[in-house]
Amino acid sequence: MATAHATAHDDHAHGHVGLEYHPGLPISNGKLIVWLFLSTEIMFFAGLIGTYIVLRFGAPTWPLPHEVHLSEPIGAFNTFVLICSSVSVVLCMESAKKNNTSAAKGWLLTTFVLGCVFLGVKMYEYNAKFSHGIYPALPHSRIYEKADLNYASAVRLRLEALRSGLDAESAAIKERYAEDPAGLEQNADLAEINERLALVSKLTADAQAVETTAATANNVTASRAALNGLANKIMPLGHHPGDESGDAHHGLNDEHHWLKLPIVIPGGNMWASTYFLLTGFHAIHVIVGLIVFAMMIPMTLGVMATGFIENIGLYWHFVDLVWIFLFPLLYLF
Amino acid sequence: MTHHGHQHAHGSMHDDAHAGDHGHDVGISKYIYVFLALCVLTGASFFTYSSLWPFHSQPAIGWTFMMAVSCTKAMLVILFFMHVKYEANWKYVLTIPAAFMSLFLLLALVPDIGMRSRWTAEERQQFMAEPRDAGHGEIVKHGEEHAEPAAH
Repeated sequence: MATAHATAHDDHAHGHVGLEYHPGLPISNGKLIVWLFLSTEIMFFAGLIGTYIVLRFGAPTWPLPHEVHLSEPIGAFNTFVLICSSVSVVLCMESAKKNNTSAAKGWLLTTFVLGCVFLGVKMYEYNAKFSHGIYPALPHSRIYEKADLNYASAVRLRLEALRSGLDAESAAIKERYAEDPAGLEQNADLAEINERLALVSKLTADAQAVETTAATANNVTASRAALNGLANKIMPLGHHPGDESGDAHHGLNDEHHWLKLPIVIPGGNMWASTYFLLTGFHAIHVIVGLIVFAMMIPMTLGVMATGFIENIGLYWHFVDLVWIFLFPLLYLF
Repeated sequence: MTHHGHQHAHGSMHDDAHAGDHGHDVGISKYIYVFLALCVLTGASFFTYSSLWPFHSQPAIGWTFMMAVSCTKAMLVILFFMHVKYEANWKYVLTIPAAFMSLFLLLALVPDIGMRSRWTAEERQQFMAEPRDAGHGEIVKHGEEHAEPAAH
């Protein structure tokens, strides 16, 4: 290195003062960049988490984990997965330091698989929300903040849309069997459609009755009671962790998945916005880490690669660190 | 003189990148202990969810406990997995300003908490979430009794 430096010095010796630059901090440029990047990341997540806390404790009400289909054991499992992956990154670096390339490759693959497990579990969790109509925004979100007339009419509109869809399907089947009445009678699809139509008309009548009661009731309590009854039939709200009485998730939407009726979760919209924003940004960080790990798989992970492994390790530990705070804040608070 | 300085700087850079930790050898066993501690601490914050946790009625106790546990876990990860415990003094150059700036960021949010009031505009109240009454699910159960006759 000293020789290389001497040559460089000669190249620039034509009347210039030979300036020497040495790093301000006794670490490699790569590590410096990673640490600087991580300090911006600390501020990024401090802002997000701080905002979440302000919104969560400033909200008039906040849903319980069960009401938004959040499973604490799954969250704890994912925390465990990320901690394991942090350990495997560290062990990967230790193996590389000892020039034990095959062991380092093994630990790298372990980390990669654990990262994928984390994302897989996250996808499963997201799917549980989506299948219940919990999205951060319209048009997919079916969350209403309270059971009011606005909500009741949304239920009625959804039922009307269902009815016209089912009517069209039934008409199409009848047309197909126009010259075969025997075949039409045995058609299983049509039988199911008729069953669904019967349910939809019963529910429409119920919803209309509730709407009428709510609009004409001469006191607020009776009106609210009718509307809350409707919301509760569609999706009952959850229970406290200690409370074992009753099934928390057994409403019309769970019995008949095709209904997809609007639901009432007080505070649910703000919850969905913050949950998907925080976990989404964290998941993006996990994906970036996994891309780098995937790129490292063909590399020789010997002594020469230790610096690189250390840098990606620092990033990965930071991702773990963020989850350490997100898990209690989102699942247990 | 300058040459020597350069070589020295490069030498320590080399140490950092390859041998690491300025001679401190972080044994594998230390990582295993930290890992076990992290698992126990995760279990500890998960314990607040179980029915054995005695402070379900006072959530603030659980929140404080969980944040203390999370900070401990974060410190373990930073000190041992990120090797900060074994780094030279340069670590303060990068971590202290970042810590201060995130502190300022959080302080900037304080007015949002302090200036919050119970007063809401009428049009907001119209669509605002309604807090459940004391006794969870009370409104709903109450509503169900009254809704049945109305629905039929």
